[in-house]
Parts: sequence; structure tokens; C-alpha cells
Amino acid sequence: MTAAPLNPNVFKSDLKPIWCPGCGDYGVVQAIYRALSAVGRPPHEIAFISGIGCSSRIPGYTTAYGFNSVHGRALPIAQGVKLANPDLLVLVAGGDGDGFSIGGGHVAHAIRRNMDLTYIVMDNQVYGLTKGQLSPTSPRGLKTVTSMYGSLEQPINPLLQVLSFGAGFVAQGTPADMAGLAAIIEEGLRYPGFAFINVQSPCVTYGEEEQQLRAHKTRMKTLASLGHDPKDYLKALEWSTHYGRELYTGVFYKNPEPPPSYDALVRERQKELSKGALPRERILDLFKKG
Amino acid sequence: MASDIVIGMAGSGGDGIVSAGESLISAVASEGFHALMTKSFGPQIRGGESSCRVRVSTEAVHSAGDSLDVAVALNWDDFLKFGSELKCGGNTVVVYEEKTGVAPDKIPLPGVVPAQVLAVPLADLTKKAAGTEKAKNSLVLGLLSSWLGLARASLTKGIERRYAKKGDEVIQGNLKAFEAGFTYAQEHPLQRPLAMAAPKGTPTAKLITDGNDITAAAAIFAGCQFFGGYPITPSSEVMQLLSRELWKYGGAVIQAEDEIAGIGTALGASFAGKKSMTATSGPGMSLKTEILGLASIAELPLVIVNVQRGGPSTGLPTKPEQSDLFQACFSAHGDVLRPVLAPTSVADSFTTTVEAFNIAERYQTPVIILSDQEIAQRKETLDPIDTSTLKIEDRKRPTEAQLEKYVRFAASDDFVSPISHPGMKGGAYLGAGIEHNESGAPSASGAVHARMNEKRFKKLEPLKRQTGLVSVEGDPAAELALISWGSVAGVCREVLAHAKGEGLKLKVLVPTLLYPVPEQVYREFLGSVRAGLVVEQSHQGQLYRLLRMFIDLPKGVQSFARSGANPIQPAEVLAKLKELSFGLQSRVEDERRGDIE
Repeated sequence: MTAAPLNPNVFKSDLKPIWCPGCGDYGVVQAIYRALSAVGRPPHEIAFISGIGCSSRIPGYTTAYGFNSVHGRALPIAQGVKLANPDLLVLVAGGDGDGFSIGGGHVAHAIRRNMDLTYIVMDNQVYGLTKGQLSPTSPRGLKTVTSMYGSLEQPINPLLQVLSFGAGFVAQGTPADMAGLAAIIEEGLRYPGFAFINVQSPCVTYGEEEQQLRAHKTRMKTLASLGHDPKDYLKALEWSTHYGRELYTGVFYKNPEPPPSYDALVRERQKELSKGALPRERILDLFKKG
Repeated sequence: MASDIVIGMAGSGGDGIVSAGESLISAVASEGFHALMTKSFGPQIRGGESSCRVRVSTEAVHSAGDSLDVAVALNWDDFLKFGSELKCGGNTVVVYEEKTGVAPDKIPLPGVVPAQVLAVPLADLTKKAAGTEKAKNSLVLGLLSSWLGLARASLTKGIERRYAKKGDEVIQGNLKAFEAGFTYAQEHPLQRPLAMAAPKGTPTAKLITDGNDITAAAAIFAGCQFFGGYPITPSSEVMQLLSRELWKYGGAVIQAEDEIAGIGTALGASFAGKKSMTATSGPGMSLKTEILGLASIAELPLVIVNVQRGGPSTGLPTKPEQSDLFQACFSAHGDVLRPVLAPTSVADSFTTTVEAFNIAERYQTPVIILSDQEIAQRKETLDPIDTSTLKIEDRKRPTEAQLEKYVRFAASDDFVSPISHPGMKGGAYLGAGIEHNESGAPSASGAVHARMNEKRFKKLEPLKRQTGLVSVEGDPAAELALISWGSVAGVCREVLAHAKGEGLKLKVLVPTLLYPVPEQVYREFLGSVRAGLVVEQSHQGQLYRLLRMFIDLPKGVQSFARSGANPIQPAEVLAKLKELSFGLQSRVEDERRGDIE
């Protein structure tokens, strides 16, 4: 991927976002335009897959091929796209509910396969599209319309989860730091394997005060400033345990020796096995006896 | 001499009954006979009871046949567990293990006087010949080969091949057991000989396969490039064959983490421009339903195979039933129309699968293939299929001019819009499960929704008029009719073959296209019909009820339906038809008197 950068506006579509004014997702889509422009692949070579939720509208706001699918199923669909055409740059995006609740079962397997995908979760700790219910990353005690007396549940820690599943690239960012977020996404896009980026993208309508961009600016600490080495897996695990209490941004882990990605192995296998293929029109010879 | 024989065998898992059946079908196929083999198991993974039926005929066969001509029980407990699948009658020669201690006049088949009952010391003879009881199945093959005058050389060659990896000692043991069985049968000839006549016509080298394997092969032939699925009985063999073969054609197979991901990956591949498929059975189909709807609204081609088993829920995972028809047609939220096709045999699974891909591509729609456990897992001999006559279609892609200003869901005369895919310059669009306008932009407008619904329904109208998707056989002027589908259609085709001899004027309609219902074809067929049966294997009679939604069935057309795992046999359909025919005759006088409108 040594293409020349493109103008970020090349990736901006004509559709007007449905997001509330001040939503963090505006910043995420801007960061994506910047990252894509730096990577330099033209929009038609990009497939951008999402599920359902406020943030899952995001593919439509780009000029890439988008697929705004069904709730929780962006990862399986994206893997089908990537396997069908490994030459594509494939992005996946969605919210914390899409990725860690209804679609939670797919995350471990997408990571297990290590396809060259970049998965961006816009984590706002609440269900915005359905108007303010509890989400899998909502903090314990959070009062919402479905947890009137405070949540009794411990939140999921997306960073710790994906690290333990074995993801080769794990990072966190916030639109409060646009340059940092764009850089993380670009690095994720360039990583040759499964890349996970958790974006603390506040919900202005249903989110808590300390989750807003203003608060992020004072709360956030870059892992680089703390002296973290992204090659250090165990240390990455440790930093990730602070999820929900501290806002650490930057790359938690980047495998210094990425294993071959699944789609690369698939190409090798196809090439190797195609030598022994019967012509399609003689496929029934498989069932000749003797 | 016999021209059509059904052999049924049952034993415990380790007895090698199914492998004996497989040896038999391979051997007779190589001699030019037509044959069909069904297997049935208990729910256990290993051991437990297992059985098979092998039908050998000098002419083509369409079903597993009627009551057994030869029944082989290695022990009675296991045999009786297949009561409805291994029915014995007055024509049956019953052979059983003498060691069971049951006296020939005390065998546990109530209400039946078999043609002959033979208690054979199967285990003892095997031990004496081979030194081990393990080769019992080869001894049984020896008995059958001798009594039926079948395939001695092919069977011994088959034994040598089958045990090649196990070494000379095992091969010799099995050959000795085979010979011991053969000799025993010569010393104990049947009272009514069952020796098979020679196969009709010039014997051709036959293929042997089952519905699942041939479905997978058909997908490759049709140009499938991607399969995503999850293991489930009785459809897993579709994925297994593709995971061995599809890579060779530049394709990919993914064993997904669940049924939803199976169809999700397949739909993603279709979005990326490749022909793609998933396969499952009832419970998996229930899980895939949401993404089926997505495929419909996003107008993406996709082939979904549902190998039906008994349901609901886990139901009867290893037995056939035709009870997922309503699900195939109607399981969806919102207004959805998706084509449903059903193969009627192993050979027919090939052409039906190719057609499913064609329809999916032509109309940019998911297409469901409703197979069932019997077709999927029964082995059939088939003559080579001339694939040069089969057309393969690809989706309508945009022209360069259309890509200048591409509109994904553009209005067109046939309501099918050219479809681009990622990588195609100028073709980028937003695919979506949310309602959208012609350009793909999300919309909550009632007018847009109505217009797009109309597009998605109207594009499928021509399918109902496509020829070759309904087969009509028999006397066009017949007043008696059978309508049937899937594996049970073969039973009705055999009834038709016998109808003339029984003095019945009959015709049979078998739809490959179950849904949308090709109403006009049924109306023309039913014009002359005054009485008939819709024959199927479900408690509710789902095809009968589906037809009543769309067509005014004549009063005399009834449902002949029963739950799965209770095979419908040609003789009982024939008997019911005779009853209907007598009813029609008595109506003639009543009508004349004006007693009936």
C-alpha cells in the first residue's frame, strides 16, 4: 500500500447524516476520510460494511461500496466480501451494541480467522437509535429507560476481549483528538490482518457528561506518553483493564510479526489446488466408480 | 425371473449393514442395473441401530419401493426399530440370525405371513469361514449374490477394494465369508426363486452418488465461488464436498461460527460479485431467516439449500419430512417473495441446483432449494448427465455507459436493475436492509416503499410462466390426478407407471417450482380433473394448503399426507386412487338423478 494520498473529499458522499448535532460519529467519519485519503485506495476498491445502529449508517456517508446490513452481522458479511475478493480494502463499523451484544458471537471468530479487515467500533455505552437503553458497555449502576434503578451488570471490556481473542492490532481513539484518531485508523488499515479500533464516540443525547468530547479532552491520556510499547502484549492487556475508568488512546497492541492473513493463505491454497481441478463441465466424473 | 427387488437389512452399528448395502449398490451398478439405496440410523453417533434398503431393478426406479422382497435381520431388536421403514409382507423372504433363538414360526412380525422364513447361523458360519464374526456383512452379501443371481465377480472385487487398506488377512477373511454365504445359499435355495433378469438396454457405466454430493457438484458446475455454512444433519455433506473441491475452482469455503454467519458470509460474497451458496436443515433455516430478508431487499443473488428433516425444533434430525414448505415460502417479516424449488431425486438435484443459481442470478434474489433427508442421503445409480444442454446464467451487470451515472436500483422494463460490485469503477452504491430509493439512498417514504415493493415482486412474475419448472405426465384427459413434490414425487411416478395395468386413467403433476405458485399451469392441469390426491410427507399437508391459497382445487382433490419418517409407498397410493375412481363411478348415477350439484 504505497499509493499516493487522495483528497479526503473524494470519500465524502452526498448523503446528509441523520446523527444528532454534536454526535461523536461526525468526528469518526472525518477521521475515516483522512485515513482513507492517506492510504490512497480509490473508493471503488473499498467495501465498507456495517450492521444496525446510529453509527452503522456510516458507510452511506462515504463514496465507497457500502453495505448497511442487519443488526450484529457486519463481521460475517465483511468476511464473505473479503474472501470473495481479497483485493478489496474492507472496513467494518458499528456500535457497541452491534458488535458486543447482538453480534458478540462473531468477534472471536473474525479474530480467529485473522482476515485483513479493519473493524471500527463506535462505543458510546448506550443504545442511541432506540432511544437510550442499556448497552453491553454501559457502566454498572447506569440508569437508563431499561435500567431505571441502575444497571446490575458489569460492562463488557471490548479492548480486553479482543486482545484475549488474539487480535493482531488493537487501538482506541476519540474524535476529541482528530489527528490521533485518523492516525490510528490509518495504521489499522495498513495492518496486514484483523485490526480492531475502539472509538469512544459520545452520544450527545443519551450519553453521560464525562463521556462527552469536552470531558474526553481533559480525561484522555495517550499510551505513548505513558511509555507503552505496542509490541508488549502483556502490558497491553494490563492497560486495557483500565477500560471504563481511564481513557487511554493510541495503539495497545500491534503484533510485530504478523502471521499470514487468512485471505493470503486462501489465495495460496486456491493457486495450489487449481492444478488438480476437473473442468467444470466434467464435475460429475467425481461420481464415476471403479 | 425378478425384475425389481427391494432388500432391507438392519443390525447394530458395528455389523456393517450399511457398508454391505454400499457394496451391493456399487456392484449392481457396474453390471448396468438401476439401483437406489436409502439408509436410516438411530440417533446415536456410533453403534446403535442402523439399516438400509437397496432396490435393484432392470429399469429406472423413482422411489425406495414397497414392502421388502428380502429382509435381513442381524438381530430383531434393531430390525424392529425401523418398523415403518422396513415393512414386510406376503412377498417377503425373511432371513435372520439363528442365534437370536427365535423360532421361524415365532418371528416378531405380527399380522404377516412372509413368503419364506429362514433362520441362518450367520455368526457361526462367518466364524467358521473367516475366523471372526466381523465379516458377517460379507457373508450376507454372499447369500444375496447367490439367491438373486447378482454380481458375484463385482462383489468380490468390491470386497478387495473396500478392505485394501486393512491388509490381506482382512480381505481373505471377508472373501471366505462371502463364499461361505454363497455356498450356504446354494444349499438352501429359495422356495420361490428371486434370480434377477438382465438389465434392460445396453448397460452403461453408471454414476453413483447422493443428493447432497450432487448438489455440491451442481453448484460448482453453475459457477458457485463461495460457500458459507455450519454443520447440521442431514446437510453437512454439501459443505464437506465443497470444502474439498471448491478451492480448485478459485472459490472459498468457510465453516462459519453459526448458521447466521454461514448465510452472512455467503451474502457478503454475493455482494462482492460472486455466485454463492449456503446449506442447512430446519433449525439452521430458522436462524437464517433475517438475512434471507436482507438478501431480498438488497436484491442479491443467493442459493440456500434446506435439506428437510422432521421438525419442529430438533425434531427428527436423521429422518425425512416435507414440513418446511410453509417456512420456505413465508418465513419473513415484511412482504417478501422468494422462489422455492424442490428436487425429486438425486439426478434431479443436479438440474434443480443449476436452475436455482440461474434464477437467483437472473432475478437478483435468494432462492431456496428444498431437498429432504431421503434424497440428500440416498444413493442412486444415474446415467451420465449431458451437461452441454444446460444453460448457465450470470447476473445483469452495468454497461460502461450505465456506470457513467450508475443507479443501482434503476427502474427498468423487467424490474431487474444492472448490479455492480466492489472493484467496479463507477458502480459504488449503498446496499442496505433499510428501504431505499432507486439510487440506494435510505428512505422512509411510503411512496418509495410501495414502489420498491412493487419492483421486487414484479421482477419475479415471469418465473411463474417459465417452462420446464413443472412436470406433467400421464393421460392429459384423465379425471384422476396426483400432485406431489420432492422425494415423494417418485412414489407418484411409480404409481403412474402401474396405473394403466390397474385400469386407471391417471395424470401426475410434479412442481419443481413450489413458490411462487405457477397458478396457470395448475389450472390447465386441473381442467379435466374430478378427483385426486396431493401426496406429501407432512402432518398438515403443506402443499395442499398452499395450493388452496392460490387455486380453486376441485372438490374431489384431497390431501394424502402423513408425518415424516413414515414412508409413503406406491401400493397404498394406488389403493386410495382406486377408491377415488370407484367414488367417481358411483357419482355418475347420483349426478344423473340430480342428487349432486
